[in-house]
Amino acid sequence: MIRTRKTVVIGLLVAMGLILHFVESMIPMTAIVPGAKLGLANIVSLLGLVLFGFQGGFQILALRILLGALLAGTFMTINFYLSIAGGLISFISMFLAYRFFQDKFSLVGISVVGAAFHNLGQIIVAYFIIANPGIFYYLPYLVLLAVPTGISVGLVTYFTLRYLPGAVISIN
Amino acid sequence: MTFYDKFLIISLVIISVIFIISPLANILVEGNNLDDQVIIIQAGDGSRQKIPLADTYREEPVIIKVAGPIGVSIIEAHNGRVRLKEAPPEDPEKICEKTGWIDRVGPMIICVPNQISIWIEAKESELDGVSW
Repeated sequence: MIRTRKTVVIGLLVAMGLILHFVESMIPMTAIVPGAKLGLANIVSLLGLVLFGFQGGFQILALRILLGALLAGTFMTINFYLSIAGGLISFISMFLAYRFFQDKFSLVGISVVGAAFHNLGQIIVAYFIIANPGIFYYLPYLVLLAVPTGISVGLVTYFTLRYLPGAVISIN
Repeated sequence: MTFYDKFLIISLVIISVIFIISPLANILVEGNNLDDQVIIIQAGDGSRQKIPLADTYREEPVIIKVAGPIGVSIIEAHNGRVRLKEAPPEDPEKICEKTGWIDRVGPMIICVPNQISIWIEAKESELDGVSW
């Protein structure tokens, strides 16, 4: 029963992540800093991490990136590599922050860590693609923007968790 | 929001602002040196001469003489462009002379009889960006 419920919740979170991903692509953040994103889909990764730990969160992240790329038609393109690099490094850093510094950081701090590392991962992959070290000059702009978006993502996750019924929370 | 959250956020903001400002300050102090293209002149024996394009903005054109199998070719670089000014008289077609000036990455001056090729190369990768 609990396994089924867990599967359903993971499926729901993946679906929400996909929708958030598309809603996000409609918001022209690129007008401010090219390449910048709100990172709304990070909400579900963080939720998954908090609800189901590393394994569940990772499933949600991987499924979201894969299905998102297939739906948007960017599978195996530069976008896909950037997305998967940013997603993985951001998730791993959030997991480490959540696992070892849970008493120090709230969800807001963990989300900011994830957002900053997301940019770092993307810039590193972008460096390997365009082979121009000048791309690193771009990192501070992205990190500066990652701070407010990370805070908002963390707050959304926090309030979503408070709002969720106990049945969902107690799955794990 | 815990104390560590605020500490993390503030330090991230400060670090990124520092890294935004320091390259900008560098540009202000040293001037924009984005114009880092080089002229490359390759002779028949494979030896290369490199001249930064930025060095050609002078009153007098830069004249380079390159010896090849049939004689000496005279190459002129001036105000960000380069041409083969004079091919040796033995050159039957003088195609390289007729190519005229080149001023950007892409075109190439080739002198087959004298085995000289001239082109402009960017020091950095030619891709200037990728959008995602």
